[in-house]
Amino acid sequence: MPTRAGGPAYADISLQPRRQHAVVLRDHRVVSIPFVPSGPDDVEALLSRILAVAGGSLEAVTIDISQILRSAVLPGPQALPQVAVVRIVPVPASDPALARSPADLVERLIAHRFTVAGGHDLLGNELCPLDLPGLEAVTVRLALVGIRDIAIVAAGSQANPVHEQAVANATQAAVPQARISVASDFGGHGLVAREATVTLDCALGPLTDRLLVRWEKALAAMAPGVLLRVARGDGGHSTSSRIRSLPVVSLGADDALQISGAAHLERIENCRVLLPRPGGQVAGDVRNGLVAIRSGELTGFGVELVVPTAVLTPDRGGSSGDGLGRFTDGPVVLATRDPQELACLGAAVSQPTSWLDEFAYIESAEQLEKVREEAQERATAIVVANGAAPGSAYVAEVSTVAVPYSPPGTVRIRVRVAGAADTDPRRVEVFDRMAP
Amino acid sequence: MNKGVPSTVGEQRGSGYVGAIASISSEDVPALYEGAKFYSPALGDANKSSLTSWLTRLLDRNGPVSLMRAEVLPPETPCVSLCVIGSGSAMTDLPPSGNEFSMAVRQVEQATDTRFGAIYPLAAATVSAFAPVVAASQLGISLIDADGMGRTYALIHHTAMHLAGVSATPLVAYGPTGESVLVRTPAGPRADRLLRGNVDALGGWAALAAYPTTTGVLRRAALPGTLSRLINVGRVLLQYTDPDQLLVRLAAVIGCRRIGRGRIVELEHLSRPTDWTIPAHPSSLVVQELGDLGRQLRIELRSEIVAVFADGELVAAAPDLLCLFDASRGVLATLDSLEPGDLVDVLATPADAIWYSTEGMAMVGLGSHGIPLDHPRRR
Repeated sequence: MPTRAGGPAYADISLQPRRQHAVVLRDHRVVSIPFVPSGPDDVEALLSRILAVAGGSLEAVTIDISQILRSAVLPGPQALPQVAVVRIVPVPASDPALARSPADLVERLIAHRFTVAGGHDLLGNELCPLDLPGLEAVTVRLALVGIRDIAIVAAGSQANPVHEQAVANATQAAVPQARISVASDFGGHGLVAREATVTLDCALGPLTDRLLVRWEKALAAMAPGVLLRVARGDGGHSTSSRIRSLPVVSLGADDALQISGAAHLERIENCRVLLPRPGGQVAGDVRNGLVAIRSGELTGFGVELVVPTAVLTPDRGGSSGDGLGRFTDGPVVLATRDPQELACLGAAVSQPTSWLDEFAYIESAEQLEKVREEAQERATAIVVANGAAPGSAYVAEVSTVAVPYSPPGTVRIRVRVAGAADTDPRRVEVFDRMAP
Repeated sequence: MNKGVPSTVGEQRGSGYVGAIASISSEDVPALYEGAKFYSPALGDANKSSLTSWLTRLLDRNGPVSLMRAEVLPPETPCVSLCVIGSGSAMTDLPPSGNEFSMAVRQVEQATDTRFGAIYPLAAATVSAFAPVVAASQLGISLIDADGMGRTYALIHHTAMHLAGVSATPLVAYGPTGESVLVRTPAGPRADRLLRGNVDALGGWAALAAYPTTTGVLRRAALPGTLSRLINVGRVLLQYTDPDQLLVRLAAVIGCRRIGRGRIVELEHLSRPTDWTIPAHPSSLVVQELGDLGRQLRIELRSEIVAVFADGELVAAAPDLLCLFDASRGVLATLDSLEPGDLVDVLATPADAIWYSTEGMAMVGLGSHGIPLDHPRRR
């Protein structure tokens, strides 16, 4: 019978298309678990091995599903459902290149596209009333084509989601079994990036559900009370149910976790980590213990996303004749350990995190302070929903810049909040249900 | 040289001229994008894939766009300038439907009862460098290798054409809402004032067709060779990401120099009195320089960087082209995405000579930003 001795233990699992890798972290010791090949009972088999090491001290399991999701998205045997996209803009694209995603891998997930007139500007002012007859025609078509997964994006919805919500409501009424993703759930900047993000989110939903439901059931049966956490692309983690709602935030987690895992091994809070990659070495930075992140293009995707991921830069290390050298004034860590093990270690030291990227209008320094405080409060509420213990949240990064060539007073605010993981399963469940 | 780029005719070295390019094809789009960002590092890459993919497909579909000096075309050839007016961030969130630029040109044609034979950039930088290439491809007309700013300035009369007495109007702003505004006024500054409020209502940005004239006038009224220069600088940026190697190359071709290297430690807002008629409120950036000098660099911003002070001393100022290069990532650091902790090189490049004239300095120098100091070149 497993017994609890010493401090709590944490298990961290990296899921890959053909096998699963895990480590157990306990009392600052890292124990690698022999990998389990994918198969009908792989979850239970891996969990048994974890429990054999961690015993009754196991407090939480953090799982990285990003490699599974990435391999499902990248070209290969089609494993994801087809999506219908509804774009809400004042005028439909007149050039076919602007009517589609610039990324082929996103476009091949889309079976049908529709445009409804409507939308808002960057600060949420209505540019065009929502075309209600047009919306009705689209919902009739959506019901006819029989697609369940529907992504909706409106111009300006990160500032004013009212048109997006109206379209979502009408769609849900016309297609009751629809699984709908709306771009305003992610915020961020750029219609094309938001459309790509919400399309991927929609397509990844069923696969993520299947993966996480298996783990939730196995944990409930074999280790009741042990929390299931899921790694995020920003190097943090969220609760399982939050990731089932917004699976796209998991993309890129493997990169971020490897960087933080390598930095943690060296016990350095500010450094550059060099990661070997088949296409050439890349570098990621760690600042104050957190991986440097931005929203942008995830390697190989061909389009920007609004969910933040680790900033990776080709870096040969040192100045090089081919011009690919980079400058850094801090310590450099070369990640030589097994990448999956590093990712598991990164997951073990990860925290619940949240990230906001918003635009606002100010006329005074006092207003600026107010909008920053409000953004920080929203990010704090989200991080608690992502599994942070109440009262533990702290603002890890905040930046506010004036938006060039916009009306004076227009600012862009980005906030990153982290917190200590909540260890009370009942409280996590309650905050999860209250998620904004 | 990159594989597959069009031939460069002639090769001269020195500030402001790096060889003329005869045409712009889809293979030039990455260099066009990077060069455009260097000459106005205001906007990040949130819309990069969409813009570059659109122009690439357009040029693949319609073939390369001819890039010509004004002197090559008959002097009576009617031409009009194009740019994006308003915010690139707004454009990122509400991308073009595709016909805004050609529609703006067509509506100025209607207003002037003219058929344009060529297009030129009002400002060859940022997304405004893409606009005339798009329209030239769509309309099947020539693109002139000259522009009105050689970078970007905040207001539409901050142009060489305005200094040469060419009227900005009639002009048309055609928005992503499918709506447009026609402005007729003899005074350039009034044209900007009349336009700004309309641009916000059009969605925060619009395609602007302005300064209708002829190529004969343009020979003396615009800055020649600026599109070629931009693409050549873009090629350098694509080839060299090591900050030291890049600086050597940029110094050789456009006279770029590094003022200092350091980490951003602070971002401040409303740090100077605000003129609410000019886009973007004043803000400031503090960079703590690395190395022995260890100076504190204070960088004054508007839509562009307008001044750099080192330990309180003015060391560079508008109309110099001032930009930040992220030394740890090997890319330009754009003003809409700066963060404390970023490690940046502060770079300064001389602007076109016209901007250091008395009239040019009065229009776009430090005084226009509420900083009553002499330019370092004049002290």
